[in-house]
Amino acid sequence: MRIFEKLPHIDFMKWKGVALAISWGIIVVCLLIARPFTSHSRVKVGMQFTGGIEMTVRFRIPMAADQVRTALQQGGIAGAALVRYQSPPGTEDYSIKVKAKAGQDAKDSTQQINKILDVLKGLDPQGKTDSRQDLNTESALALSGKWYDANLLGLQGDEQSRRAVYDSWAGKITEARGVKGAITGYNDLPSDLPAPLREMVKKEFRLGNVTLRKFESFSPSISGEWTQKTLLAVFWASMAILLYVMFRFTMSFAVGGIVSLIHDVLMALGLFVLFGYEFSVPVVASFLILMGYSMSDTIVVFDRMRENSHKPEYRRVTVTKLVNDSINQTLSRTILTSLSVLFVAFCLLVFGGPALRDLSFPIFVGVITGTYSSIYIAAPVVVYWDQWFGGKDKLKQHA
Amino acid sequence: MSKRSLFRLVWTLLICAGSAYFFLPFSKVKLGLDLQGGVHFELEVQGQEALEADLRDTRDRIQERLQEKAITSVTVKSDPTSVRVDGVTAESQPAVTKILNNFGGYTVTEQGNARILTQKDFYQKSLKDDANKRAQQIIENRINQFGVAEPEITPSGTEGNRIIVELPGVGEAERERIKGLLSTPGRLEVRFLSKKQPNQIPVKTEAEALAMLGGQLPEGTELFPELMEKPSVVTNQMKAAIRAAKPGEKKLDDVRQWVLLENKVYYDGGAITDARRGQDQMGTNTVNFTLNHDGTDANSKLTGIAASEGRQFAFLLDRKIISVLHSDEKITGGAVEIKGNFTQAQADDLSLKLKSGSLRASMKFLEEQSMEASLGADSIKHGITAAVIGFGTIILFMVLWYKWSGLNAIVALSVNLIVMLGLLGSFQATITLPGIAGFALTLGMAVDANILIFERIREELDAGKSVPGAIQAGFDKVFWTIVDAHVTQLFAALLLFIFGTGPVKGFAVSLTVGVVASLFTSIYVSRFIYDWVLERHPGTKTLSV
Repeated sequence: MRIFEKLPHIDFMKWKGVALAISWGIIVVCLLIARPFTSHSRVKVGMQFTGGIEMTVRFRIPMAADQVRTALQQGGIAGAALVRYQSPPGTEDYSIKVKAKAGQDAKDSTQQINKILDVLKGLDPQGKTDSRQDLNTESALALSGKWYDANLLGLQGDEQSRRAVYDSWAGKITEARGVKGAITGYNDLPSDLPAPLREMVKKEFRLGNVTLRKFESFSPSISGEWTQKTLLAVFWASMAILLYVMFRFTMSFAVGGIVSLIHDVLMALGLFVLFGYEFSVPVVASFLILMGYSMSDTIVVFDRMRENSHKPEYRRVTVTKLVNDSINQTLSRTILTSLSVLFVAFCLLVFGGPALRDLSFPIFVGVITGTYSSIYIAAPVVVYWDQWFGGKDKLKQHA
Repeated sequence: MSKRSLFRLVWTLLICAGSAYFFLPFSKVKLGLDLQGGVHFELEVQGQEALEADLRDTRDRIQERLQEKAITSVTVKSDPTSVRVDGVTAESQPAVTKILNNFGGYTVTEQGNARILTQKDFYQKSLKDDANKRAQQIIENRINQFGVAEPEITPSGTEGNRIIVELPGVGEAERERIKGLLSTPGRLEVRFLSKKQPNQIPVKTEAEALAMLGGQLPEGTELFPELMEKPSVVTNQMKAAIRAAKPGEKKLDDVRQWVLLENKVYYDGGAITDARRGQDQMGTNTVNFTLNHDGTDANSKLTGIAASEGRQFAFLLDRKIISVLHSDEKITGGAVEIKGNFTQAQADDLSLKLKSGSLRASMKFLEEQSMEASLGADSIKHGITAAVIGFGTIILFMVLWYKWSGLNAIVALSVNLIVMLGLLGSFQATITLPGIAGFALTLGMAVDANILIFERIREELDAGKSVPGAIQAGFDKVFWTIVDAHVTQLFAALLLFIFGTGPVKGFAVSLTVGVVASLFTSIYVSRFIYDWVLERHPGTKTLSV
């Protein structure tokens, strides 16, 4: 199977001005809407870069978002952002984010966490009347300690071996809790749990409403470092790529490559913000991958230009024709290679779950713009460079 | 089969077998915290505290020397940056100079009758380095004794003052306790209460306590607050406060009394060889510890004085009073029991801290992440589903598009997969969720190399080349394109590796590994398969591509 039965002859460079105007126009519009660095900025930045707390909690008894929000406000937690997550039926997951105040230290954040947790536990209707320990928040050690003290199984032997038995049962319970995210009924207890232990759990533990599934806290001092580190990584990655392309090709190619790289990153950034995704360190990582991919896609076209420039039939033609022919000759493979990665990125985006969605979006966008920019950003720059600096001969000498 | 093909086949199989050795059985593969659940901390050693602690030690040692030499007119004080020796007279001057010269890490400056000691730069650096090293070691001790399976404790940061602690499988309930274990130094000190005390009425502020002492601390003493949850002396005022507090409320936290302690430390946590939780006859929790030889001597001296003079002494943990005791007789054995109104967990943690040794400085939590195992399991499920669907689609696409050559690509991809897993296994890399994404993406990119080669072969065939010629030209002409494309991706991956931690590092590792594996399989393995097939069908006129 082939995309083109015959070699296509599309005059790509005829539209270079229009293409450049449109795609940079889109970027400008995106940036205008996103308005980074202003007070109305739509850019969402993760706690890793701002400092603060982020937690995901699961309620066993369904809980309306408003109810949680009001409780948090009444509990004196200002500026908490609440988002509902997808969760299995019968449970409800929320993400709660609280930004750190300037100058807040570790102690403050610990207090804040405990305050939030107290508020959430207060949302448990049973908790107010039932003073038993909560099976969904107690540790395995607390459980096994109770069993050990009462020696429910009437075990013989030294302390260590008796403890080990109770510890392993307690571990099984916390494991069962881990699988479902919360113990929602006493039926969730491991089926082979000895009866005396099961009875004690039923008698002395209640099933709390809230479990903490994920929790992150970043002090403001380290978040500044993250921002710096991230920007440096992006900067050095571009420099390394620029230098490599300069070394392997010529100046005009290197400039074209970098301009298309910047284009792809800006485009993905703009769309990323417009679609309401949030920046985190893994997302920045995926932007770096996007850069690597965008460049390697451009290289396929560049390589053909270099190869063609050696051929006798291209000795007397214009750079525009050289570029156009090279693009046409590589068009089917450019499309195919992009499609294969696009498939994967698409699968990650759709099936990868919430954690991979943020990360695969820039790559998904990047693969599309990377393919487009190889043709309509990188190549035109080479043509313009030649028109302005007369670099055709140079291009050939180097190649 | 020709010798050359055989050689290449053996090579490929050897590499596959070697790779399999590193990742089979699958239980060898380490999962990151984001996949298996657990706790991640990034801690910073507060080096400044180590410097301050050294200043206090130096002050006490100078005081001791002065007492030995019976120089009474001279007073010693310390503040957070220096030690100040006051009242040096002409006659005491030579002796004082001699004492101060013993402190090699300090610069001594004269100010009239005073001498100011400040830490030299190299000394500060060595104190901080020492604090960092000790912190690493003690955190390891404490975590191991707490009983976490496979903890990972790694130094980080440019100054080496940061420690990353990763504890797989630790849940929310243990998180707070472990945090407490890691953050506090756990330095135990035993000191006498001064003979003169502020009145035993709860005094809320240090200033009030100081006023009761006549506005000035007696020489060689310090004021410490004692939290009055279970006060050693209960006054009527306190009883009123206790009654006023509702059950479960910790109103008593506010009720403090200030206790004047002597500076001299009789023995500290360093003298403890073993510690454990115990119970007294009343069933309350205690912490029992055993002292080494020096500690036993100091303890018998201390209890001797306490018994004969009827004085009290205090146990301090991290400069907070945990217990005030008196002794009826001189204790000569090395076993000590502290009662301090502990819960079972508190007593366990305290004995664990005493056993593991004390940190030179406290720790600050820069980053804290915890992840429940179920969420990780969800992530694995999603990640693997996505990767498998992506991989499956690519395989289908390659076979439909390139037919038999597509099969070649799939063999190459499978070898790629094995080599990637093997490389990851040999680096003992941790698989993280972004790592799975990186894995899937590199497979997509590995296919790219094959597509480039196949498209080129088609082009050469169209140009009228023979099958072997087209294959030869296809691989040769695309070689540099593939190298260039891979190298740029390698740059991005390597930078990620340098700047990232945790999940991002996992991402970087799988990308780097993927790029390397893809270079090998697309150029070497695919080529070998073509050559082998050509060998078996010499003179073939068509190629299924």
